[in-house]
Amino acid sequence: MLQKQLMCPNCKNIITIEGKPGEKVYITCPRCNTKGFYSFTKKELLQKTTSNVIETKNLTKFYGKIKGIENLTFSVKKGEIFGFLGPNGAGKTTTIRTLLGYLKPTSGEAYILDKNISNYIVDIKRDVGYIPGDLNLYGHLTGSQFLDYFASLRNTEMVLLDNLLKVFDVPLDRKIKGYSKGMKQKLGIIQAFMDDPKIVIMDEPTSGLDPLLQQKFYDFLNDQKKKGRTMFFSSHVLSEVDKICDRIGIIRNGNLVALEDVDALKGKLGKMIRVKIKEKPEKFNGPENLKIKDGWIEFVTNDDIDYWIKMLSKYTILDLEINEFSLEDIFIHYYEGQT
Amino acid sequence: MNDVFRFKIAIQMIKNHWKTTIIITLLFMIMAVGYAGMFPAFEEAIIDMMDSEFYESFNFFPHADKMHTYVGFLTLELYTIFWLLILAIMLGFIAASSISTEIEGKTIDLLMSNPVSRKQIVIEKFVGLIPMFLVVNFGMMLAVMGITAALNESLDFGNLFLVHIISIPYFLAVLSLGILISVVIDEKMKSSIILILILVGMFVLNSLSLTTPDYNWLGSFSFSHYFDIYDLLELGEVDLVGISLFVAVTIICLVVSMIYFEHRDITIS
Repeated sequence: MLQKQLMCPNCKNIITIEGKPGEKVYITCPRCNTKGFYSFTKKELLQKTTSNVIETKNLTKFYGKIKGIENLTFSVKKGEIFGFLGPNGAGKTTTIRTLLGYLKPTSGEAYILDKNISNYIVDIKRDVGYIPGDLNLYGHLTGSQFLDYFASLRNTEMVLLDNLLKVFDVPLDRKIKGYSKGMKQKLGIIQAFMDDPKIVIMDEPTSGLDPLLQQKFYDFLNDQKKKGRTMFFSSHVLSEVDKICDRIGIIRNGNLVALEDVDALKGKLGKMIRVKIKEKPEKFNGPENLKIKDGWIEFVTNDDIDYWIKMLSKYTILDLEINEFSLEDIFIHYYEGQT
Repeated sequence: MNDVFRFKIAIQMIKNHWKTTIIITLLFMIMAVGYAGMFPAFEEAIIDMMDSEFYESFNFFPHADKMHTYVGFLTLELYTIFWLLILAIMLGFIAASSISTEIEGKTIDLLMSNPVSRKQIVIEKFVGLIPMFLVVNFGMMLAVMGITAALNESLDFGNLFLVHIISIPYFLAVLSLGILISVVIDEKMKSSIILILILVGMFVLNSLSLTTPDYNWLGSFSFSHYFDIYDLLELGEVDLVGISLFVAVTIICLVVSMIYFEHRDITIS
């Protein structure tokens, strides 16, 4: 049986379907009743077994009656940087801590490197590094004592340690108690990557890093990506996700509301056209979603830029901007559009 | 599975506590020398006072009627209070905060990001406390031997050795109880205080059972009821039931701790 996640083109609901290779599956969106179909190919069977390093199926975590996350289904492919977006309290940390076995899922399941997290979590951690969001280190140890301790617990070769210490220099001989927030964060990064794990899961890893260090960190992540390492990255800083992530998942109130290629997501939402004309803005016969703000005409268009440019040519244009949606716009779209 | 037996967490525990170990050991050695050293000065005074009224006022301690002898004095002043209660509180305090401090301080997230199982954390935290206890235990034994020889009092060193050997299962039971509380209660102060309350409670129960014969049965809920230091020190009588009980408590506490810790959520607030 193969699984595939699709987004309903109408209401953006995420639908998970199952089928055999080559099978054509008819789908009805449970939310808005839009109908469609999907054909499984044999090629996807190959892709599935080789490329997904993290997979969740309806992963759900309730704290008693309080919802943490509900029915999260997504996958992270080998060698990609996956951005996990959502505002504070949306369930990012709950997702990460459930994936890593700190919290027991209420229902659903998850696999990391094809191993079930409920049964093989210790084994999984040999290949997975982790930077907690609320990073707390052993204050009574010095930086090097801490790294030695963790290296002894990993019991493998710390192949990246020297390199990491060059990029993220920390005062190794000083007690961690005396570290600044940025130094602690650097040490958190070092311990997660020092044995060059196949996957690193990070919960808002750039908080506390200055812009210069953030850039060094992004460069480092890109180098890791080139080596085929996978990174799962939660953030609420959209610009950084835009800069480094290949795919994103957006979580809202514990539910996944989008799961997409960053570029595809932007493409799908179309372009924002802003134009200033000499004539009265009200005279312009634009589409329904048109807004007028400070004399600027603003509207969103999908794939008919040509049509609108030709329309605009009938007016005297003072200024014109055609922009892609930024991730921020997308984010706001998902948060405002679906409440 | 070879990683399990490398005991790196236990070794880190020992490293974290070496200073405390030395301080507690010195404290108890000084205490042993001090109390035993007082005996010659008090001996005659106690013998003079040793009528039934006097020792009945002490009868919440086991073997209060023997306090005019060196062994009785040691049992009462040193072992019953300082050894079985105060040291148990000190070591139990450390055990009860061993895991809760990592949860409260949120370092548990990083610790568990390593390939270590939760069961392994429980066992290694327990194992990591044993060397600390052994150093205190035999340090104290040497101090008692030293002062006894210096005072030229009569004490069977073989029996003294037995006391410190049987102290091992007694304190393992205390440590495992501390570990159990530590995996259940997330705040280290709370977990430590609960353990102290249990230890003091057990001590009070035992005292109650000694003063009021009607409440004799209460003593069976107390650890110290099963560890008669006077009988051991004077007569060399080993309470096998007591030892089996301490071993059983240790095993039960550790198994329950492992099962509970394995299945609980590690929440950070």
